[in-house]
Amino acid sequence: MGKKSLVLVLSVFAFTVLFAGGVCADTLKLDVKEYVLKNGLKLLMLEKHDVPIVCVRINYKVGSVDERPGITGVSHLFEHMMFKGTKMFGTRNYTAEKSLLEKEDDLVVKVSAEKTHTKTTDKKKIESLEKELDEVRKKLRDLVVKDEVFSLYLRHGASGLNAATSTDGTYYFCDLPANKLELWAFIESDRMKNLVLREFYSERDVVMEERRLRTENSPFGLLIEQLNAVTFIAHPYRWPTIGWRSDVQNITKAETAEYFKRYYAPNNAVIVMVGDFNPDDAIKLVEKYFSDIPSQPAPPTVKTVEPEQKGERRVEIEFESNPYIAISYHIPAVGHPDLYALDVLSSLLSDGRTSRLYKSMIEDKRIAVMAHAYDEISKYPDTFTFLAAPRAPHTVAEVESAIYEEIEKLKNAPPSDWELQKIKNQLEADFIRDLNSASGLANEIGHFEVLSDWRYINTFLDKVAQVTAEDVMRVAMKYFTKNNRTVAILVKKENNTKMKETKENNRPEKSTVTY
Amino acid sequence: MNKNNYALFSALFLAYFFSLVYSPNLVAQPQGHEHAAVPSTGKPESEGAKIVSGFKFKPLNFVPSKVDRVVLENGMILYLLEDHDLPLFNITARIRTGAVYEPIEKAGLASLTGYVMRNGGTLSMQADKMNEELEFMAASVETSIDRESGSASLSSLKKDIDKGLKIFADVLMNPAFPEDKIRMRKDEVIESIRRENDNPAQIAGREFRKIMYDSRHPYNRKVEGTLESIEKITRDDMVAFHKKYFHPNNIILGISGDFNKEEIIRKLNTAFAGWKKEEILFPEIPKVEKRFERSVYYVYKDINQANVLMGHLGIHRKSPDYFPVMIMNFILGGGSFTARIPGRIRSDEGLAYSAYSVFQTSRDTGMFFVSCQTKLESTNRAISIALEELDKIRKMPVDKDELAQAKETFMNQFVFRFTTSASIVGQKIDIEYEELPLNYLETYLDNVQAVTQEDVQRVARKYLHPDEIKVLVVGDKEKFDKPLDSFGKVNVIELK
Repeated sequence: MGKKSLVLVLSVFAFTVLFAGGVCADTLKLDVKEYVLKNGLKLLMLEKHDVPIVCVRINYKVGSVDERPGITGVSHLFEHMMFKGTKMFGTRNYTAEKSLLEKEDDLVVKVSAEKTHTKTTDKKKIESLEKELDEVRKKLRDLVVKDEVFSLYLRHGASGLNAATSTDGTYYFCDLPANKLELWAFIESDRMKNLVLREFYSERDVVMEERRLRTENSPFGLLIEQLNAVTFIAHPYRWPTIGWRSDVQNITKAETAEYFKRYYAPNNAVIVMVGDFNPDDAIKLVEKYFSDIPSQPAPPTVKTVEPEQKGERRVEIEFESNPYIAISYHIPAVGHPDLYALDVLSSLLSDGRTSRLYKSMIEDKRIAVMAHAYDEISKYPDTFTFLAAPRAPHTVAEVESAIYEEIEKLKNAPPSDWELQKIKNQLEADFIRDLNSASGLANEIGHFEVLSDWRYINTFLDKVAQVTAEDVMRVAMKYFTKNNRTVAILVKKENNTKMKETKENNRPEKSTVTY
Repeated sequence: MNKNNYALFSALFLAYFFSLVYSPNLVAQPQGHEHAAVPSTGKPESEGAKIVSGFKFKPLNFVPSKVDRVVLENGMILYLLEDHDLPLFNITARIRTGAVYEPIEKAGLASLTGYVMRNGGTLSMQADKMNEELEFMAASVETSIDRESGSASLSSLKKDIDKGLKIFADVLMNPAFPEDKIRMRKDEVIESIRRENDNPAQIAGREFRKIMYDSRHPYNRKVEGTLESIEKITRDDMVAFHKKYFHPNNIILGISGDFNKEEIIRKLNTAFAGWKKEEILFPEIPKVEKRFERSVYYVYKDINQANVLMGHLGIHRKSPDYFPVMIMNFILGGGSFTARIPGRIRSDEGLAYSAYSVFQTSRDTGMFFVSCQTKLESTNRAISIALEELDKIRKMPVDKDELAQAKETFMNQFVFRFTTSASIVGQKIDIEYEELPLNYLETYLDNVQAVTQEDVQRVARKYLHPDEIKVLVVGDKEKFDKPLDSFGKVNVIELK
């Protein structure tokens, strides 16, 4: 933060004319250095020497879009497994553990086979198998060094340790004190080489709990899950990243291992480093630890194309909650020029107190307590989504027509110059604010590289600067059509049998309006 | 370009909760002096860890930037840190006020005042105009009043400092509180209260506070107020509440970014010209009564996962045992996967995605609690594990290596407290606001280092009371693995 870092930082981020001439879009660029190993592993580096930390990401170009029915959720489950260790981390003795793990898998298959013979189920046999399984697991537990990868990182000062899975990618986050980069290279390369699927079955249960928490008992999570399932009828974006319940419960270790081999290859990964390091040293380090990992055949790409929507689709979800509404429209994939106008459109509609949805629905009509609009820029064509919560006694129907009213306005009149300039000013300022955070920059570079190319960030402001008022009108007309939309409404559950039971058990009666 | 969406998806699908490690009230904010690498003392158990123990890491030479403290003539305290890397300017302010000072029948007054102060515009600038002016220059001014403090912030580009400061000062000094904006905010709060029962975690949080604190104590209630109390709040109440607490001598400002110190002090004196020191009589807040008693509370909701909160009163922010408690809780349930409670509930048995413990600190005694969500069929099991772990850490000294793991984590993560100039001044104003020693950050590492196995056991015995714990469960008891009354007499809480 001190003055010493000034020169270095300016040489990294070239925007010397900022102060004199105001913010000039041409100069806002990230000077990312690129290096590709022989095995196809890509390294993206951005120096930022103000604080002695390095924010490292290793991202794999695999997400729920690469799954198929039966194993939905495997990308995310795999992400969890990456914290369970390798042949040399997380175990006291891998050789002993290996045969026990095989035994465990074998017993799991046997128990499940017995249980599926519903008519001829042999209870005694199941009992004895389960007893054996318990004993194997007890022995396994003695060999495990619990969550060792995580502990090692923490005690060496790593921060922001986490991972995430999206439709398009799987992301591993780690911010380190600058002197600990080798620890990262050692652990991560070993995870790519020698991962062991230990504690697989208990972790699958953890993911089920995550599903209950985020989706099954969350009005919002459930709404979005159902919306996507109806918006897409063919493309894999229709299933949730966390996976369908039955798939999560039944994914096998073999399916997970196969997934790992295919997608967790150096040629399908990108490393991002942002912070206080020397690029030459970083290249040497990555060569030392990762270069011996063989590349794999390029993973298959998704061939299914979502067919054009032929009419409005509507879905209603009954849930124990006050109402919400979500409306989605299909839009193109990353790389399509219309996306910049759609970005402007989303800001125009819902960024800040001067945005159109806020002003009309929350301030003027006062029919909603939440109204958002956002475009999902993804590897394959995704959606522009509206999300809103009505304010009682106003209804989702009122909110829905208010959204359409705003959409019609966009189609009939161009946004004002003031609105467009405001949005451009904000996007430029956001860019500068983002430069403050090494961690945020690492996320962004890694994110866009997974979608297409990190250079997206460097051309973004120029492209947005070119968006005209007419462009905004044109894309509103092109995409916000009735034929192209899906409407999902979450409504309060009306469960008569439960109500009756409730009374009998002397439980509180559920009325239609609760607080 | 949808950086926003990026945040959205990561929030949805993060494998690991940040909150496990970064409970804001739990982790202290360090800062301050040169520190060398902390040598790892752990005994390596795996082949990989043995190799790592042979790594030679260079020392991390790091001297955090020095922050200046200045007191203006009007009594306003400033923390200043010039940072010329980027053409940005930030102020964060803390104001001594809070929902604890509002009368119970007007619950929600402080929060409403904090919101409408900004959202309602000022005497000289209507809200619409203010929104337009700020958003056009990509700046923001925000205010809020929480349970025990008020906050205000300004963020702008360097070129807009003058315009930004003017609005910032105007909002603090001359809010208009127009009736229509008050009504609008009241309606929003009413709707959010109506929606509370949609979310099991919100039900649990609200009810847990009620059973932790006596109903007369302001810690017992939510800062948003109730449907009844909100309607009792008048514009006059809000004007008076603002007038009582918003004086320069009651404000600490943290200023960071691309400015010159002398110049910014002149500008602040101009922006706040005429704002006078005033003595403030703070209403007396009753002391938190500490009572410990085993009891069980149950809230029915038709869901397939129980939401469990269990705990009792803990420590306040200035407790002399703060550091040992922090380390003890890291080992017990605060330290993510390295901690015992998540280790057993999540990692060993796969019973929950999120399981952790927290000592939440406040000016008076805060809450200790364990939180987890587990399928209905394992509710009893998860609660039993947590109770066993509370018992165990009281009875047996923690392992040397566990203690080392906790201390090294805190010490080696120290550098991350200094990643932006705004976060550095933010910590400084928090320390002064909390009335912690001003050299808190300079002594932080020594305080962590000083914690011993004996300290950990001593504070575990003193501050953990598994036999007198309160257990709250939201869910459907028909499907629980065992009846809840195995933990004590069950009180049923009915949702309105």
